[in-house]
Amino acid sequence: MIFRSLQYRIAIVFVGLLILVMALMLAMVTRSNERIVAAEMTREISAGALVFKRVIEQNRRQLETAATVLSADFAFRDAIATQDQPTIRSVLRNHGARIGAKVMMVINPAGELIADTQRGDAASSSYPVPDLLAVAETQGMSTDFKQMRDGQLYQMVLVPILAPRLIAWVAMGFPVDDRWAVDLSQMTGLTISVVRHDDKSTALLASSLDGARRLALPAELQTLAQDTPKLLSFGDEHFQTLLLPLGKSASVVLQRSLEQAEAPYRSMQNALYSIVMGAIAMFVLGSILFSRRIAGPVNQLAAVAKRIQEGDYAHPVPTLPPDEIGQLAVSLDRMRQGIAEREQKILKLAYEDTLTGLANRVRFLETFDRHPKGTPAAIAVLDLDRFAMINDALGHPIGDRLLGIVGERLANIVAPPGLVARLWGDEFAFLLMGADEAVATRFAELLHATLRAPFALDGQRLDVGGSLGIALCPQDGQDANTLLRRAELAMYLAKRKQIGFVLASGIGGDPPHEHLSLIGEMREALDRLEFVVHYQPKLDPSTGRIKTAEALLRWQHPAKGLLPPLSFIPFAEQTGFIREITPWLLGHVIAQTARWRAEGLIIVPSINISARDLLNPELVEQVRKLTAAHELPPDGICLEITESALMEDPALALEHLNQLAAYGTRISIDDYGSGQASLAYLKTLPVHELKIDQTFIRSVIDSPKDAAIVNSTILLGHALGLKVVAEGAETSADLEWLRNSGCDEVQGYGIARPMPAAELPGWIAAFAWKLHQ
Amino acid sequence: MTLKYCLAALFASCLSAQASTLEVHVSTPAGKSVEDAAVVLEPVAGIPPPREARASIAQQDRDFVPYVTIVRTGTAIDFPNRDPLKHHVYSFSSAKRFEIKLYAGKPAQPVIFDKPGEVALGCNIHDWMEAYVLVVNTPYFAKTSLQGRALLADVPPGRYRLRFWHPRQKAEPPAHEIEIGGRPAKLEQVMDVAARVFKPRQPTDAELY
Ligand SMILES: [Cu+2]
Repeated sequence: MIFRSLQYRIAIVFVGLLILVMALMLAMVTRSNERIVAAEMTREISAGALVFKRVIEQNRRQLETAATVLSADFAFRDAIATQDQPTIRSVLRNHGARIGAKVMMVINPAGELIADTQRGDAASSSYPVPDLLAVAETQGMSTDFKQMRDGQLYQMVLVPILAPRLIAWVAMGFPVDDRWAVDLSQMTGLTISVVRHDDKSTALLASSLDGARRLALPAELQTLAQDTPKLLSFGDEHFQTLLLPLGKSASVVLQRSLEQAEAPYRSMQNALYSIVMGAIAMFVLGSILFSRRIAGPVNQLAAVAKRIQEGDYAHPVPTLPPDEIGQLAVSLDRMRQGIAEREQKILKLAYEDTLTGLANRVRFLETFDRHPKGTPAAIAVLDLDRFAMINDALGHPIGDRLLGIVGERLANIVAPPGLVARLWGDEFAFLLMGADEAVATRFAELLHATLRAPFALDGQRLDVGGSLGIALCPQDGQDANTLLRRAELAMYLAKRKQIGFVLASGIGGDPPHEHLSLIGEMREALDRLEFVVHYQPKLDPSTGRIKTAEALLRWQHPAKGLLPPLSFIPFAEQTGFIREITPWLLGHVIAQTARWRAEGLIIVPSINISARDLLNPELVEQVRKLTAAHELPPDGICLEITESALMEDPALALEHLNQLAAYGTRISIDDYGSGQASLAYLKTLPVHELKIDQTFIRSVIDSPKDAAIVNSTILLGHALGLKVVAEGAETSADLEWLRNSGCDEVQGYGIARPMPAAELPGWIAAFAWKLHQ
Repeated sequence: MTLKYCLAALFASCLSAQASTLEVHVSTPAGKSVEDAAVVLEPVAGIPPPREARASIAQQDRDFVPYVTIVRTGTAIDFPNRDPLKHHVYSFSSAKRFEIKLYAGKPAQPVIFDKPGEVALGCNIHDWMEAYVLVVNTPYFAKTSLQGRALLADVPPGRYRLRFWHPRQKAEPPAHEIEIGGRPAKLEQVMDVAARVFKPRQPTDAELY
């Protein structure tokens, strides 16, 4: 409906505008025409009046000339001079006819009528228009319009007859009749009427009008003033009327018909009206068609947009003519494709694990939630065995690729509506719709069989095992989170017991104490500051001074008391949680070192770094930032790295070590001698210190073999420019032996046990004092 | 007064001791001298026998010369045309109607003015031309000069009717009788005379170029 109204709105707006413009134009044309007609009427009337006056004046001159010529005619004069009535009358008629005078009279100089063509016996009567004679006597001749006895108006000309002195006057009358009026009407273009009017009545004497208007004219003239144009109406016809004096007792009425003057404009206006009407009709039709052409495609596009809005991206936008709307359609289609692609991508990101292409945890939970309540289902959690080691040994890229192919193989054993998801790390989850314990058990066997075949990666054969925990719905829980947690616990048990798979129902409600989500506990421990750092001082036996100490992480467990690193660090390393612990440890130790320095105690702490930490590309930056933040010199700390940590990814480890050494951080090789690293290999590393494994130190006194190894190691280390540290010195004999062997630093219970940071300054002070004693 | 007139008057007085002279001065009521007024003495008893007389009114420079001519009844007047063009002299006056159609030079026959009265002369070709002839039944008459004076000489003593006339007079003064004695008499006369109006002339050919 909206689009229909758009279509009509377009038409209505355009047609409305056109009508408005046309109406304005017509109004202006009409008004302008009225003004033009009015102006033209006035102009025509005044021009006509001027022409009329000229013609009248010209007529008068012509008549006077004719009369003068006649009066000078010798025979005429001769005849007048005879004083013989019949002769005079006949000459009057004869000569009068020559110039078209209807009335001819001869008057003697005394003013007496001698002869008159109107009456036979004119003699001795007086001349009927004495005023004319009076004028002629002073001016030589005179002319005026006079109504004569017959009621007819005449233009009278009175001229003298000279022989050579005045012997008589001859008066000639030219009739002012309808023919006169018609002639003048043709010359002036106006209607001409002659009236004689006094106070009481107006009589029409001559007119170019005919019929009713002729009869109606006198009555209309009563209101008319001389020389002022006025519009008079005769029935339905209107006349611009001007009254001019004609002689002393008559007036001439000049008229111009308004309708006649308007006629050309009327026909023009009518033509204009038809054109306007035709234009509006054509425009209405045109704009309806045009708006339909616009609204149609818009309609189609709207339908497409609505489908897109509803999430249906399948229908392509119809191809439209290549105008603006066509371009809009093309854009809309691109938008549709773009939205479809992006939605696909977002869905992938939201529901897909990018590493394996499997479903992620969100998708897994959602899928489970969609399954009908109460129907049986099983959730299985698989954690790959030894994956951490593979990852540590071969590097993350290999580990990631391994996860990818494992995922592929796992996906093959679950048919829809079942689902495989990667929860995180090397942990996978399976949703088995409608599975009971038997089905789940068979699935576990299938899974193990599937994993038993080795995976080939870059030509290497990798054996990957896994531990599986299975929780059943509804027995073990109703919601996905509960089921997942229980399956996870079962999986941990299976892993610990190395028994392939465990059913959650088999381990009861309470998970085993030790594995009580150790990761969660560690995370809480970090938050609750249950981790503490103890420091074990290292003694320089040649000087008896304490310049360094090993920072050792302890867990002050609320229930189990102080836990040593060996009880949780391997697990943290295996689960990757070490990545959260090490930054905390670095920050904590560096801050403590900085505080001691501020107090005047310069201690270089050694911090243990795992293989995972060393391979972490952020380690170097973390060290750099922390030392800089606490204004500690780069060689203010020492990082202890085990030989095995170096072996996992020697290239990456070397790169990171080089970066650290370049920065200035001291690097120590921990537990030297327990691994296979040769000194020749160590020589290529930017290492400052060798820490001989305590198993050698513990037996230097008892075993001459070990003593020889330690001695040669110290010598070789010194030869390579390395500082050699011994740990595990428990007795003063050990200490004495080590001092004599030239060991640079000694650490062990024989000197001090690890102690809280707060106790170290006091202990050092006491130790120094003891030494001086 | 011209010398000729003086001589004539002197001669007349010498010729007849009995004869006398009458000098008249004519003026308008405003006191302006009137030219071309006719002063006529008609003997109350007996008119002297007529004598053959001739007069001439010339057409010169498309005008009549003179303007006023006074003649005794029976006088033959010639109308010599001194212009290089033709004239058509006419009169419609009852005292003498005549017409000399287009002529040049002197017409063969003079016109005899055989009835007393005034005659207005015109030319049919030149409307402005006008002249007047007063035909009187007495030999005693005179025409006033530019100064308004007229001298009637050799008038025998006796009783006379004195008449005045002018072509443009508004009314002829009433005639009255006077006694002419042996001595010259002088007379003042007032006449109401309209000023002469010259009608417009056509320009001559020469004037046209
Ligand atoms: Cu002439």
